[in-house]
Amino acid sequence: MSQTIEEYLATLKELMKNCDAAIQRDALADAEEHLRSAMEGEDPSRLETVMEEYGSPEEIAAAYEIMEEKTTPGIASSRLKKDRNWLARFFGIYADSRAWGAVLYMLISIVTGTVYFSWAVTGISLSVSMIIMIFGIPLAALIFVSFRGLALLEGRIVEALLGVRMPRRPVFTRKDVTWQQKLKSIFGSKVTWFSLLYLLLDFPLGILYFCLTVTFFALGLGLIAIPVVQYFFHIPMIDWNGHAVYLATWTYLLILLAGFLVLTANMHLAKGLGWLQGKLARGLLVVD
Amino acid sequence: MDENEVAIKKFQKELNSGIASLVLLGVLANSKEPLYGYQIARQIGAGKVEGLSMKQGALYPVLRSLEKSNLLESYVEPSVSAPPRRYYRITLTGSEAFKQWRTTWEQTRDFVDATLKGMEQ
Repeated sequence: MSQTIEEYLATLKELMKNCDAAIQRDALADAEEHLRSAMEGEDPSRLETVMEEYGSPEEIAAAYEIMEEKTTPGIASSRLKKDRNWLARFFGIYADSRAWGAVLYMLISIVTGTVYFSWAVTGISLSVSMIIMIFGIPLAALIFVSFRGLALLEGRIVEALLGVRMPRRPVFTRKDVTWQQKLKSIFGSKVTWFSLLYLLLDFPLGILYFCLTVTFFALGLGLIAIPVVQYFFHIPMIDWNGHAVYLATWTYLLILLAGFLVLTANMHLAKGLGWLQGKLARGLLVVD
Repeated sequence: MDENEVAIKKFQKELNSGIASLVLLGVLANSKEPLYGYQIARQIGAGKVEGLSMKQGALYPVLRSLEKSNLLESYVEPSVSAPPRRYYRITLTGSEAFKQWRTTWEQTRDFVDATLKGMEQ
């Protein structure tokens, strides 16, 4: 039987060590929220009853494991059959919600990446330059907490668009500890530094994703546009030393097909990059 | 724990899995304001003998799964002396589902009652 809330949480964490890290974090956050809410203004001797009513760590771990088996993460769950031929699989990407989610992620990551990077760099320079002053350390702590907040937000975006299970709650820092311990829990935590690393990395990655996606979209749409523009508007798409070159009519179909292939391949590319990005997000943002 | 007790526990667990969702949805359907886990647990008296024979902690994963099915929605709000609390409220889909579930429950209850009564006679 646990004597304190910390002991209870440690036991629960130990029991759930084989679970998905994000579920484990949810379970710990729920337990901590409940136990501390229930003990608010109560005599410490009531803790045993409160824990008893909440359920033993074993029961709680079992309850989360059952629930997680029944549910799939995020809106973007792929329900495509695997046993179709390669042609159907290749073009079936248009019916894959995860691919569309990934495309959207590729497009917005340039914006989010820029915002994260600017905030991180501004925050770090501000923290470093202010650290000599008396309010420098609390200010730096505040800024570093904001990195974790941004990382949590990014996790929500990643889960919704890439379908990777990410933490839904912030890591809780206790209120009833001294200032030194609070600062230690901010600056000494892997969560803070990995979040910061992710925020910095997301900038170059966001640019790369955006450029690749837009380039191939433009290329695909451009190819499709060639026959249309040439046939209906008589505008040549190719200019050779000042001479307009008109493509033969029989090539129209080939060019259309090439454009469509590029667009489809781009969807696969986005899905693949989204998968990698999901791995990165899980690696850096889901830590103990 | 003797064999009889194990059988009772198992039966209760099987019963609870659906009822917990129904009760949680019911509490939130009747509540004017969003509630957080501990408030909900207190309202239905879970963990106590006379309440739903289910541990309070087991309600939280049910709340999460209801949220995933879009029957509930939630937001986190910081509190002064405790960790941030997750407040839940029912969605439009949730209210619709609750009405249907309630009918299903009433039919099931009447059917079970009638069957059990019929056996006694």
